[in-house]
Amino acid sequence: MDLTLLAPAALAALAALLVPLLIHLARRSEQRPTDFAALRWLRQKPKPRHRLRFDEWPLLLLRLLLLTLLALWLARPMLDGSASQAPWVAVVPGVDPAVAREAITEADARLHWLATDSPELDQPTPTGMQPIASLLRQLDAELPTDVPLTVLVPEVLQGVDAQRPRLSRAVQWRVLPGTVPVPEPTSPAAVPRLAVRHAPERKDALRYLRAAASAWQPAPKDSAEPVAPDLSTATVDEPLDSDVRWLAWLAPGALPAAIEDWISGGGIALLDSDTTFESNAARIVLWRDELGQPLVEGAAHGKGRVLRLTRALTPAEMPQLMEPDFPRQLRALFDTPPPAPTRVAANHYSPTLGGETYPQSPRDLRPWLALLIVLTLLIERWLATRRRRGAAP
Amino acid sequence: MQDLIPAQVRSRLKELRLVSRRATGQQGVGLHHSRSRGAGLEFSQYRAYEPGDELRQIDWKLYARSDRFFVREAERESPLAAWILVDASASMAQQDASRPDWSRLDAAKALAACIAELALRQGDRFGLVVLREDGLRLVPAGDGARQRDRMLLELHALEAAGGFPGVSKLTPVWDRIGATDLVLMLSDCFDLGVIDLMQQLSAARREVLAIPMLTVEERDFPFHGGYRFRDPETGEELPGDGDALRTGFLRRFGEARQALHAQLDASGIRHAQYVLDEPLDLPLRRLFGSRDAAEYT
Repeated sequence: MDLTLLAPAALAALAALLVPLLIHLARRSEQRPTDFAALRWLRQKPKPRHRLRFDEWPLLLLRLLLLTLLALWLARPMLDGSASQAPWVAVVPGVDPAVAREAITEADARLHWLATDSPELDQPTPTGMQPIASLLRQLDAELPTDVPLTVLVPEVLQGVDAQRPRLSRAVQWRVLPGTVPVPEPTSPAAVPRLAVRHAPERKDALRYLRAAASAWQPAPKDSAEPVAPDLSTATVDEPLDSDVRWLAWLAPGALPAAIEDWISGGGIALLDSDTTFESNAARIVLWRDELGQPLVEGAAHGKGRVLRLTRALTPAEMPQLMEPDFPRQLRALFDTPPPAPTRVAANHYSPTLGGETYPQSPRDLRPWLALLIVLTLLIERWLATRRRRGAAP
Repeated sequence: MQDLIPAQVRSRLKELRLVSRRATGQQGVGLHHSRSRGAGLEFSQYRAYEPGDELRQIDWKLYARSDRFFVREAERESPLAAWILVDASASMAQQDASRPDWSRLDAAKALAACIAELALRQGDRFGLVVLREDGLRLVPAGDGARQRDRMLLELHALEAAGGFPGVSKLTPVWDRIGATDLVLMLSDCFDLGVIDLMQQLSAARREVLAIPMLTVEERDFPFHGGYRFRDPETGEELPGDGDALRTGFLRRFGEARQALHAQLDASGIRHAQYVLDEPLDLPLRRLFGSRDAAEYT
């Protein structure tokens, strides 16, 4: 534990200590004239006049203390290493708390759930899926480096990353009996309808989109007939249906405000290369050709996304239209990626060493100092304004 | 005109009598014992009638029994002349910071009024001498209510100033104050001239009583912090710190007071110290009252 000052220059404010000293000293030289007939008995042994003396010692000390505290407050003191060194035990939800308590022998161990905000083990078991790997890394970064960390995990973990966590310290990884709730498997959703709004001069591009949408439909097993595409095409004046989620906007000029609002509300729109649309979001190239030239850029907009073509949808400009890969590529632009697997057997997921260590954030002492200052100020005011007080400073 | 004597003090004055150890009573009828005989209340003796005796002094009942004239003689009780000497030098104007309207001179005026009241009640003559550097002020001895009013008028106008008068200016005192008169000195007794005067009066067969008057500040020295002490008579100044000066002052001042008391005792001067926060009649009670009644407050 050591005290550091973030702004030591502020200690120059300690010079203000001179003010109360002067206040309490200055009055000393002031001498009240008094008639005193018995002067001859007073005069026998003259005392040295110039002795430094102060009035009202308690008040003076209190004022000095107050100013010192204020200067210290300005200097922003921080206390390092004040955190507890007791071993930390993180219990992954799924382990029975009673079992976890039995498994821990250290008396001073701090038992917490490995969950958001690290609730204590006495709290009810956190529900919902916890991002275990993320929480582990956070815990490792926030704990002082020499605090032993024990993690109690059930046999199967849910909510992990694709790789074993790399932590800065050796973690005691103990697998205990217990289960985690298995989330419902998400079935692949039906392909949403692609709505197309096009200007008359872009009519030729419709056929490629229609072909791609047709290819998205699952092929029926018994017939070789091509499946009708789930596609609604209309001119730009046509308003969008309420259930439309994917839109291809093939028209030059500014994007209407209605479409923009629809994108902000969660829609995904593929914009023509001539459409003007200003967005502050960073653009990411989502699709490149063989030479590395960007074909489609994407950017977030509100809750939805904007996909912008960099070329016209003609085979001459964009030979990829003619390739068999085009429907899959187009769909990949619209589709949100499927969730990564998050389930793993616990004994295969023990953390590895080699993670970075982070310096512990020191504790800011200013709120406590402020409290102390207010207290001192109150006492000082009480002392200075109480009734039985001389006519001194 | 404001009454100098507080009502409570006035009521307590009834228990007091001015007495003198030296009163011989050569003039008139009064309360004081005397060795000469004459008309009076206290029976002394019978003697044979002599021509010139007043007819009303003949004891007619004894004449009826013995057929001879006898004159009934009584112990003569004679009046006393009480002289109130008030020191009005500038030091008498000193007062306490805690009670700024009650200076030493105010107390002296009130005491003088009390003494006048006592003297008036027992038919004694009384006079006032104000001792001030610029000259004495004198109310000749007399008796009766008008004499008291004359004296109160003089007291009300009195202001303290200057120092104590020199010996040359004190001649009227010797002219007026006769032998065996009662002299009451109201002063702070800081000035040697006061003490000399009292000693000389006492040595010249005057009955001298002294009431040395102190302020509370002189007794307690309750000063904290820086002060510039000023002697009102000489104008000398002494800056100093109250706390630092206290012990030394109290010791030296106490010694000086004891020396003064011893000096007064040695000269046969009865004295009773008065401090400004004490009841006004306390010094009178100490001087004239019975011993055990003296100290209650």
